[in-house]
Amino acid sequence: MAVIEVEGLTKAYGDTLANEDLDFSIEAGEIFGYLGPNGAGKSTTIRQLMGFQTPTAGTARIFGNDVRNDRALRGAKARIGFLPGEPAFTPSVTGREFLDYQAELKGDERRDELLGLFTPPLDRRIREYSTGNKQMLAIVQAFMHDPDLLVMDEPTSGLDPLKQEAFHDFLRGERDHGTTVFFSSHILGEVRRVCDRVGIIRDGRLITVEIVEELLARGGKQVRLHTETPLTEAALDIDGVVGFASEGREAQFTFTGDYDALFAALADYRIVDIEIDEPPIEEVFMHFYGGDAE
Amino acid sequence: MIETTRYEARQRVRGTLAFAVLLGAFALLIIYLYPTIAESSADIDALIESLPESFREGFGAETYTTIEGFVAAELYQTVWVLLLGLYMAYAGGGLLAGDVESGRLYLVLATPVSRKRVAFEKFLSLGLPIVVLNVSMPLVVFGGTVAIDYPLDPAYLLVVLLVCSGIGLALSTILDRGDAAQRAGLALVFLLFLLDSVTIGTDVEWLGAVSPTRYLDPTEILLHETIDLVDPLLLSIVAIVIVLGSLGHFQHRDL
Repeated sequence: MAVIEVEGLTKAYGDTLANEDLDFSIEAGEIFGYLGPNGAGKSTTIRQLMGFQTPTAGTARIFGNDVRNDRALRGAKARIGFLPGEPAFTPSVTGREFLDYQAELKGDERRDELLGLFTPPLDRRIREYSTGNKQMLAIVQAFMHDPDLLVMDEPTSGLDPLKQEAFHDFLRGERDHGTTVFFSSHILGEVRRVCDRVGIIRDGRLITVEIVEELLARGGKQVRLHTETPLTEAALDIDGVVGFASEGREAQFTFTGDYDALFAALADYRIVDIEIDEPPIEEVFMHFYGGDAE
Repeated sequence: MIETTRYEARQRVRGTLAFAVLLGAFALLIIYLYPTIAESSADIDALIESLPESFREGFGAETYTTIEGFVAAELYQTVWVLLLGLYMAYAGGGLLAGDVESGRLYLVLATPVSRKRVAFEKFLSLGLPIVVLNVSMPLVVFGGTVAIDYPLDPAYLLVVLLVCSGIGLALSTILDRGDAAQRAGLALVFLLFLLDSVTIGTDVEWLGAVSPTRYLDPTEILLHETIDLVDPLLLSIVAIVIVLGSLGHFQHRDL
């Protein structure tokens, strides 16, 4: 049985459709990434899954419980760990007091283990916390009752790169133990590294659900080059160069091909500077799903 | 069982104690002033008589020449009923709207507790300031005046404060911004108090009947030692209706 089943989920705020007829399901033991640019409707979906907002039409089920039924969903919540986007806390309490309160509400079998990995300053008041510390505190509370399902809205935002990597490792470990993970992100690279499947949402509509390997093949990298002599598109005659643009000795393109071929083609040029980066998600949409990302 | 109430009440301890100390100090100051007023040659009662009735009623000034009348007018009518009423409405307004606005509530509602329960337990946490202030004030007043009889049945005032807190809670479930709910609570309770005061003795006196302060008259209780049991009962029912209505609304709204 699917852990999360979303069926025709629609949420309208006045005339704006934040979610439009969404359909997807998430199987037990997979990491499902929910990818989309800011404002695409990711948080709206998550709020409906958690019962904070009522769908305008359609519904979703978590562990078979309809999210529109508060009582049924409440029973399922004991098995859910939740991490909201930009988590907020009462500023006057310490991290420890907050975790004690959460423990009373849902249990904390794994608190100590988690605090070995994520290290918010527990005895300080939360008003003194940095964004990263707040995020770590939120991560600890999300996992501390050893939930079977994690629902997370941009879980790595605010974490430094090392902690992000630690979090990704931890997530993969949890998945290997059978935990199901649903998380939203606007960073393609993060979704690639961690997820088994990805749902891509834009303007409230689900564009595609893909296995990550397939997305990988299509995603590409953004390459920026500064060469001593100008580089032309014709000179770079290899597969996988998309959207080539140059200005003087600066060139820029999205690359989906084989790195060895790229470097072989560049061997004749003297390279002053090179940058190979994750493309912004808007670029991915433009190149692979048509239309502009706005 | 009452995790949320305990968590919330702990955060109210400091504010409540500070408020109790300030009010206590003010009460002692008023009592300390009394002998000078009682012995002054000016005919203060005549002055009060010459004030418009709505003014006298609003501030409960009936007589300043007995300690009961003086304390009733200076302390109970203004400081206690109005100030505490405002405070409770303000605190009530802060119960939910601020947490909704900031997103703090998500982390609580993601756990297996119902919205109604969280909202009600938060409301219960207002019991801390209500109880502490209503116990400490009479003690301070009593300690400050050996002459005064036991001043006011605290249960009576309790229901007025519950109504004010309920008004705050109701606003807190309706409005999206924490500070808006708090300010609206302050404004509403103050307006109700004014409505009660200015309509007294006029043709539209019935208008003031919507104000909880109409049903509490410390002057009457202190000075004439009469207590009516219907009014507090009525107020309790109003408080319960407001709280239940708020909880029902909160259960179903989008957050």
